[in-house]
Amino acid sequence: MIAFTDIVGMDLAKQALMLLAVDPSLGGVVIPSTVGSGKSTLARAFADILPDGTPFVELPLNVTEDRLIGGVDLEATLASGVRVVQHGVLSKAHKGVLYVDSLSLLDSSAVSHIMDAMSRGVVLVEREGLSEVHPADFMLVGTYDPSDGEVRMGLLDRIGIIVPFTPVNDYRARKQIVNIVMGKRDEEDTQDELRMLRGLIDAAREQLHKVSMTNEQIKGLIQTAISLGVEGNRVDIFAIRAAIANAALSQRTEVDDEDLKLAMKLVLVPRATRMPEREPSPEEMAQEEPPPQEEEQPEQEGEDENAPPDETDSEADEEQKDTPDMIEELMMDAVETELPDNILNISLASKKKAKSGSRGEALNNKRGRFVRSQPGEIKSGKVALIPTLISAAPWQASRKAEQARKGIKTTAALIIGKEDVKIKRFRDKSGTLFIFMVDASGSMALNRMRQAKGAVSSLLQNAYVHRDQVSLISFRGKHAQVLLPPSQSVDRAKRELDVLPTGGGTPLASALLTGWETAKQARTKGITQIMFVMITDGRGNIPLGAAYDPTVTKAPKEDLEKEIEALALSIQADGIASIVVDTQMNYLSRGEAPKLAQKLGGRYFYLPNAKAEQIVEAALS
Amino acid sequence: MTQTAKAAKKTTSAKASATKEAKAKAPAEEKAVTEVKKPAAKKKSALAFPFTSIVGQEEMKLSLILNIIDPRIGGVLVMGHRGTGKSTTVRALAEVLPFIPRVKGDIYNRTVEQYIEMESGAKGASAIKPEDVKTELIPVPVVDLPLGATEDRVCGTIDIEKALTSGVKAFEPGLLAQSNRGFLYIDEVNLLDDHLVDVLLDVAASGKNVVEREGISIRHPARFVLVGSGNPEEGELRPQLLDRFGLHARIITINDVAKRVQIVKLRREYDEDPEAFMKKVTKEQQKLQKKIVAAQQLLPQVTMDDAVLTDIARLCMNLGIDGHRGELTITRTAHAFAAWEGDKEVTMKHVREIAGLCLRHRLRKDPLETVDAGEKIDRELGKVLGEAEAAA
Repeated sequence: MIAFTDIVGMDLAKQALMLLAVDPSLGGVVIPSTVGSGKSTLARAFADILPDGTPFVELPLNVTEDRLIGGVDLEATLASGVRVVQHGVLSKAHKGVLYVDSLSLLDSSAVSHIMDAMSRGVVLVEREGLSEVHPADFMLVGTYDPSDGEVRMGLLDRIGIIVPFTPVNDYRARKQIVNIVMGKRDEEDTQDELRMLRGLIDAAREQLHKVSMTNEQIKGLIQTAISLGVEGNRVDIFAIRAAIANAALSQRTEVDDEDLKLAMKLVLVPRATRMPEREPSPEEMAQEEPPPQEEEQPEQEGEDENAPPDETDSEADEEQKDTPDMIEELMMDAVETELPDNILNISLASKKKAKSGSRGEALNNKRGRFVRSQPGEIKSGKVALIPTLISAAPWQASRKAEQARKGIKTTAALIIGKEDVKIKRFRDKSGTLFIFMVDASGSMALNRMRQAKGAVSSLLQNAYVHRDQVSLISFRGKHAQVLLPPSQSVDRAKRELDVLPTGGGTPLASALLTGWETAKQARTKGITQIMFVMITDGRGNIPLGAAYDPTVTKAPKEDLEKEIEALALSIQADGIASIVVDTQMNYLSRGEAPKLAQKLGGRYFYLPNAKAEQIVEAALS
Repeated sequence: MTQTAKAAKKTTSAKASATKEAKAKAPAEEKAVTEVKKPAAKKKSALAFPFTSIVGQEEMKLSLILNIIDPRIGGVLVMGHRGTGKSTTVRALAEVLPFIPRVKGDIYNRTVEQYIEMESGAKGASAIKPEDVKTELIPVPVVDLPLGATEDRVCGTIDIEKALTSGVKAFEPGLLAQSNRGFLYIDEVNLLDDHLVDVLLDVAASGKNVVEREGISIRHPARFVLVGSGNPEEGELRPQLLDRFGLHARIITINDVAKRVQIVKLRREYDEDPEAFMKKVTKEQQKLQKKIVAAQQLLPQVTMDDAVLTDIARLCMNLGIDGHRGELTITRTAHAFAAWEGDKEVTMKHVREIAGLCLRHRLRKDPLETVDAGEKIDRELGKVLGEAEAAA
């Protein structure tokens, strides 16, 4: 086991975990990072800095609902004849840590249960005849690789800290990691360091309720959340707690600028939905020159620490000139250092070539949500034991009497017949994922986007029963882009389509690759049926390499065709269905779209001025 | 929780046996039931952030209150941004709900009339007299339906412990039984399993829960106000379920700095010392509860002119709303709203305030529509009102 203090690099992630150790009401820490960065090693080492005896439960990705929520302990129940309840993983993490590696791969029903438990602090067990409340107040620590997909926003909303994503590329740091793994560090040093760190955290915990924060500082954080377009009001509290925890960790009783900046970095910026705009003040508008105040910025920090306590009372005069400026300065600082990697290029990670399946791609048929049981044969599925017992129970007396009458001696406590057997029926996850790939290049792009938008919306609105999902990929310029990861939300799909830029080259190969990766990710989450709906004239003119290498802009026609053909064949071989919808006017078409359909093993539809319904019809036919 | 359930089981199994025995046993059991109920209720009050301290989100708060005043409105769906206090508000509701009388210890929360009707019918012989039935006052129940619930716990099923130990088939009531005459709350309702949605649709339509499984056959009243909340970005709601909700409240992130500061302050104060905080707001909470009760009492006296009804019908027609549920909901909600405002007559002023809540989710969805549903309703409302004025 590598100790917390031995881990090199990832300072921000370490700081985040320390804040959580100081104030568990921050809810948790999520660490996105690339493979091999040591993120899971760090997360597991988190236990080192927590008080002794704090539960640390690692959640396996393939956890069943029973294990997660809890239920009847069958063995103990059978042995004792009284119903014995088994607590689930969520409840086992009570007052401790629930750790999930590869958080973004966790299946959606498990995510829902975790969200539910986090919002209540308890698990409501209403299953298989049980009705119980189990305490489940835990910190969630999650790590994931963004190229596996993103974590559901609803879950992130309940987790206080999101460490900004930074790929580890520092070779020196890596070398040191290797050294630690090889055991080159002195064990005693490690123990001393750990002791010191734990002492520090203990002291900070004591200090926590003594830390004060001014109204202006609170307002500053809230203002930042608003300018970054952070959704919801819950984050305000998290940001305040993070700032206070950081002050406590530095043994201060007042929150200072550094604390605020860290809170912005770890709590607010990773949830930004837009770049903050510097709102020009009236003077700026008039003079077009920044006010001279900016020069004084370095001094201001010192001034502010000594800020008179009467600031707390000055709630009324909101427009205090210096403070908002300073807050804005802080915010821009936090944003500029962290935003570009994290928010604006969030889909960049998914554009990287997908790693070939280190994680099981095979779908486990025994997973999913157990809904009810039905009579069946043992071999035809997973036996639902409790219902089986229930149906056998009333007949025990008569069956035993029957056997006694026949002279059969039995020591079995229960006699279960074939007719008693119930098998579990799992939720049907057989919905289809429709991946719309919309050609946003060239002059007809607007038209295509409108059609796609209509088709996506009407598909979603008509397909609830099938639990279908859609994903949306647009391609133009140098590469394709996932606008909407697989989702059932009409609102989101519409919003994404509303702000789409158009024009430029046609990176068709990149679109196919991106679509294929999206499909692969979806498969790891249990979606088996996938269909590509490509709305394009099929004329690709940008090679795959353009997405990675800015100097590549074109390639010979044969090379382009080869790329597309290779991808198309692989996609076909992967069992993905496709249709190609060509909406180009006939006289402009040179037959590329039908060719593309053929390579994909899909169907071709020529629908000039297609209505949304027609596209949907084609996709469903 | 378990104890409540166990106590409930006792009651049910007793029912299955002879009437006399049930009656003889009853006092002891009832005591057990009440004893369990009380601490449970107290525990809840210590846990929920108070309703009156929730800042903003007036649309949601009003929808919930109107549903308390008249449960026939048909519940409310609260959809909107994450972290905006949806579930906090619904869970806070329990504290301001008025009391209702029920048959003492009855797990189905039945009224004396319902009790007599069901139980006499089942036993055939001796009719139960109203004076023999003891009653008690309980707060309107609020039942939380977690996403992970299985069908057997929602509908009720055979009591497995009893079945295993004594071979008796006793019915163990589920969440639907507990929510009779109360509220049934589903957080993340758009993620609810299809099978459970089917069950809910069935029961909500009939007001009865019919259980035919594992060799038992039971039917009991299950009339509840369905409250659902969720974030539309996590997934859409099935249209049939959407249609079931009387009202649709929207909730968005508050972007007013002063309000947000207030939210944060209240929340921190509450987290610091929940009990002291609750004490501080007791008066306000009681005031709200009284106002709700007053509105409930006023409701039967509220009247509506036919002209208003005509305008409502015209509004629904102009908006192209299918069926009559739109009109019906507006009418009921407007009555409740008038009562809440202390008015005895429904006017178009009341209708205007609640029309958006009633109709937002009933408009036909056009994928390419960019106009907000609320605006559209407002616009049509303006037209109808203009016409009405022109006619007058």
